[in-house]
Amino acid sequence: MARYGMLIDTKKCVGCYACRIACQMINGLPSDEAFIKFYEEEQGSYPNVYAENVPVQCMHCEDAPCQTVCPTTATYTTDSGVVLVDEKKCIGCKYCMAACPYNARVQLHPSGVVEKCRFCWYEGEPGNPPACVGTCISGARIFGDLDDPESEICKEIARTNAQPLAGDLTRAKIYYVR
Amino acid sequence: MVWGPMIAWYLFLAGASAGAFITAAFVARKYPDSVKMRVAGRLIAPVFMAIGLLLLMLDAEAGMHDPLRFVYLVLNPGSVMTLGVYFICIYMPVCLIAAILEIRKTPVPGWLDWIGIISAFCVAAYTGFLLGVVHAYPLWNNAILPILFVISALSAGLAATSLIGLITDRERFEQMWLVKKSHVILSAIEAIVLFTMLVIVNSGSPEGAASVHSLIAGQYAPLFWGGLVILGLIAPFMIEGYPVFITKKPETSTTSLVVSIIGESGVLIGGFVLRLLIVLAALPVAFL
Amino acid sequence: MTQEEKRALFAPTRRGFLKGSAATLALAATAGAYSFGTWQVEQAAAAGGNLAKGPSLCNGCSSKCGLFATTMDGRLWIVNGMEDHPYAKGTLCGRGQGTAQWAYDDERVTQPMKRMEDGSFEPISWDQAYKEIAEKVKGIIETAGPEALAMIQDPRPSGKYYTKRFINALGSNNFYTHGAACNLSKESGIEQAIGASNYSVDWPNTKMVVFIGRSYGDGIRPSSVQSIAAAAERDTRIVIVDPRLNNTGIFASDWIPIKPGNDIAFLLGIANVLVTKDLYDHAFVEQHSVGFPEFAAQVAEYTPEWAEGICDVPAEKIVEIAEALAKAAPACAIEPSWRAAFGCAHQNSFETARCVCAVNALLGCWGQKGGALITSSPKAGEVDPIKFPSVPKPAGTRLGDTEFPLVSSSMGTNLAVLDGCLNGKIEGVFFYNSNAVQGYSQPAKWREALDKAKLVVSVDIQMSETCMQSDYVLPECTVLERMELPEFIGGKKHYVAMRTKVLEPVHPEPKPCDQIFSELARACGVGQYFDFTVEELAAAQLATVGASIEEVTEKGIVELSNPGFSYGVPKFKTPTEKFQFISEKVGAAGFNPVIGYAPRLVEPAADEFYFVGGKQGIQSHTMTLNLESLNAISREYDLERVWLSTADAQKLGIADGDTVELSSSEFTGRTRAKVTERLKPGVVFLPTHYGNTSPYLTRARDLGLNFMDFVPFHMEPGVGAAMTQEVAVKVRKVG
Repeated sequence: MARYGMLIDTKKCVGCYACRIACQMINGLPSDEAFIKFYEEEQGSYPNVYAENVPVQCMHCEDAPCQTVCPTTATYTTDSGVVLVDEKKCIGCKYCMAACPYNARVQLHPSGVVEKCRFCWYEGEPGNPPACVGTCISGARIFGDLDDPESEICKEIARTNAQPLAGDLTRAKIYYVR
Repeated sequence: MVWGPMIAWYLFLAGASAGAFITAAFVARKYPDSVKMRVAGRLIAPVFMAIGLLLLMLDAEAGMHDPLRFVYLVLNPGSVMTLGVYFICIYMPVCLIAAILEIRKTPVPGWLDWIGIISAFCVAAYTGFLLGVVHAYPLWNNAILPILFVISALSAGLAATSLIGLITDRERFEQMWLVKKSHVILSAIEAIVLFTMLVIVNSGSPEGAASVHSLIAGQYAPLFWGGLVILGLIAPFMIEGYPVFITKKPETSTTSLVVSIIGESGVLIGGFVLRLLIVLAALPVAFL
Repeated sequence: MTQEEKRALFAPTRRGFLKGSAATLALAATAGAYSFGTWQVEQAAAAGGNLAKGPSLCNGCSSKCGLFATTMDGRLWIVNGMEDHPYAKGTLCGRGQGTAQWAYDDERVTQPMKRMEDGSFEPISWDQAYKEIAEKVKGIIETAGPEALAMIQDPRPSGKYYTKRFINALGSNNFYTHGAACNLSKESGIEQAIGASNYSVDWPNTKMVVFIGRSYGDGIRPSSVQSIAAAAERDTRIVIVDPRLNNTGIFASDWIPIKPGNDIAFLLGIANVLVTKDLYDHAFVEQHSVGFPEFAAQVAEYTPEWAEGICDVPAEKIVEIAEALAKAAPACAIEPSWRAAFGCAHQNSFETARCVCAVNALLGCWGQKGGALITSSPKAGEVDPIKFPSVPKPAGTRLGDTEFPLVSSSMGTNLAVLDGCLNGKIEGVFFYNSNAVQGYSQPAKWREALDKAKLVVSVDIQMSETCMQSDYVLPECTVLERMELPEFIGGKKHYVAMRTKVLEPVHPEPKPCDQIFSELARACGVGQYFDFTVEELAAAQLATVGASIEEVTEKGIVELSNPGFSYGVPKFKTPTEKFQFISEKVGAAGFNPVIGYAPRLVEPAADEFYFVGGKQGIQSHTMTLNLESLNAISREYDLERVWLSTADAQKLGIADGDTVELSSSEFTGRTRAKVTERLKPGVVFLPTHYGNTSPYLTRARDLGLNFMDFVPFHMEPGVGAAMTQEVAVKVRKVG
């Protein structure tokens, strides 16, 4: 069974927001609700400055705190490691929003359901690749099977020594090059 | 912030409900003649809990669209919220039956009272654990928060019950030294526990320190010092402590009645403000 | 998995449920269990779910990237970049994703509008609008002649054809692009040096590239970003010369913060090092250029120390960059840029463009592998002259061409129209896909000018600020709702692509521009030149290059016969057929014919700052801000804020997020501040997409400030560009 994950290379991300809008379109989200958020980080001081755009979305954690706290079991993890929300079970208590350390959970309106990135899951499989990866103008996103050492994502993670954003918070399945 | 005043109200009402039930049980044993106060506690418990639950449901937007979904709340025993649902499932019927028995002037059986007391403690503790298990917020994620919430719950329940006792049956109320003493002691312990928690959170992480700073010196400082520390802790301590430890005699003057009412109300306001501040001031751990 | 395989699997075609151009999607009732894309899937399920897919070209900017739009039951579902399109390369940027939704915008103009005496607009029928416009056009021609009419347009495949044909048919030569506020100076300058208006960097093979102001990460074309990302991975040296660390910074090896408008000194400093240290390409200079001795003599003055004094880049840095370039030569180049620092920004922009070319010439990189390439572009051949009769060339010269003799002939300076309205030479102005009032020069000046005109007509999809100044607004349908003429794409390879009608019109009244201008032409009595449909002309044009509408519709893009690109010094299409260090035409226009120094115009006073504007990747000038999905991003991330350097902010007592007041000689306005290390102290940066004022654009209105409000009305000598950054501002904290 595959174990899906993603690699985001901030050294290639110019912050064009295409991923956010493609995600909104394919998920039918209104303009002001988004599963991908952006953080601009400045390091150093003038004139020795480095600035990066860090897109953040659900990390599909192996030990997803949102799933642990979800009282209704609306949040669950598929065999392939994708963390999903059964919208028909969600009561909108927002406990998952509080528990997620990445601020990746979004309450949708008017349904009140709390959703998040689902790797474009549809009919038992993730998008291949998900919409954000497909539209990324610079190839800053790679999607694939973390358990397959021959996959592009595994090779790239090894080559770039990509790491989860905050390894001490959860066991995330989105790796970052920074 | 993920949660707002609605959830703070729920946390407060659930805690005060549990505290009121425990107060009533305590009064029933120690002061069997103080009927009005006991009845007050028995009635406050289910009413507060019911209002709290209503607010909790109103905050759960998706559940309000499809109320049958609330049934799923029992599905994840690993979630503190589900545990809370279990506790409430026991506590709510028990305190409701106790209230009905009290209204019908039938004695509440001892075993039922004990189930109620234990489940009340569980409910009060759960409101603390609910936040306490969330790793993302250092202000919540510490072992002291549940203790603080339990103490504050007892204090608030006692205050709500006392307030009614004070108004409806003052003469007898002024004789209940144990109740009054507990009240003063609870205020003192709550202050110490709160102080300890803030010290520990402050030293634990930058985000924790930022949360504490926002409480004691930042945007929440007026509410923290005015609503929680002065009105909710110091004023009640002084007002109740004065007759209990200094004059050591029951008060009868109208002035003292007004002052006592202020003290009890202060505890209630402080109880709500505490939860509101804990909910609002929590800052998440940085992930970047 | 390769990039191709990965994209082939991308959502719209995955698991084959979308074979061919249309397919019926039979959805299991359980599809909603995970309710993926709830509204689309459930809607489709309820309606039997009819999916269709068609090609178009993005209208988010002028790159016109190829895309496929997939609809579900006629409603747009998703868009994907076209795999074979040389600019899209299978992807679309944020603007592409956002502007695809234009058809559904709730603030489009949906019927012809006429401006009333009090400035308000009333709906009017198409026929009545045509009739009234035609009467006024005829009146102007009778009293002032056809040369009192002008057309300004931002080129689009059909638009550039029909608008030119229309204005020429009326007898006027006054046909202009948006260029004076875009890349006019740069293209005009490059043309004088190399005989072509543009060139490209041979990214796959280059060793070092220097950007002067331009940012691939902000003025986005996906293929450019992919090229630079790949180059960065190969450790290509990428130098960004910009007062601001822009979003291309992630790829850069050097950020050289420079005093705005003084890039010319930096370039001449490099030229000085190359010449004086004898690091230049002797063979190229001797065999393929004219005027080198004069240039070399003049460039001796431009020492790195001299340059440092002007542009504030340390002399040793200039020397180091020059030496590194020389070492990398000929596999290196100064990037040609676009609008940015010298497209239209300063008094010296034209000359800066020439200097860029001069440095490339010294490096001998023209036509070389890894250097600066001049490639060709295809175009349609001759079509049937009876069916599509050519319009007689109007007499006289285009207004502005005499005063600004160095202007690129394909663009013209549209500011001549502004000036012409003020001095009475122009009485009737047509705008197509152009928000000149808000962005082409100072809005107040444009308003003043258009108020004087007898007739102003705008064809647009929304009530832009220019529409607000127009007597008639004719609504066009949005890009996915219309077919257009074929678009020819040049480069190492040649292609043709086309917009097709992917969506049925959302509103009944708006029309495509071909129809609008054909009908207007008939009303004006010149219908004989428009007696064909856009399909007929498209088919005829495609036939001349061996393609057909069917083929382009199916494939989205068709590769044309190989133009036979090869490396090597190109044949320069200058009058001398050589690279021109010296230009006779520039001399004849009264300027120094030899490439050299020219200063910027406005220098800030002691209490003022240099004021620079620039693009953000999710907005296109002033036209996209009202789009819900893009507007939401600007608002969520406070993108409208003005940038201040940390050092300046500290001095002024300004913290991040504070409200500040900016004032120039022309305008005063307030917005919030972004305090950043990414900016050279002494410089203030404002993104140029904000401050819309049209009451019809409620999301865009009052969000941020319009840079152009601050800029005095100028025209750059020689070319007539808007000198959009010749301005200084004062900054103070107000909240």
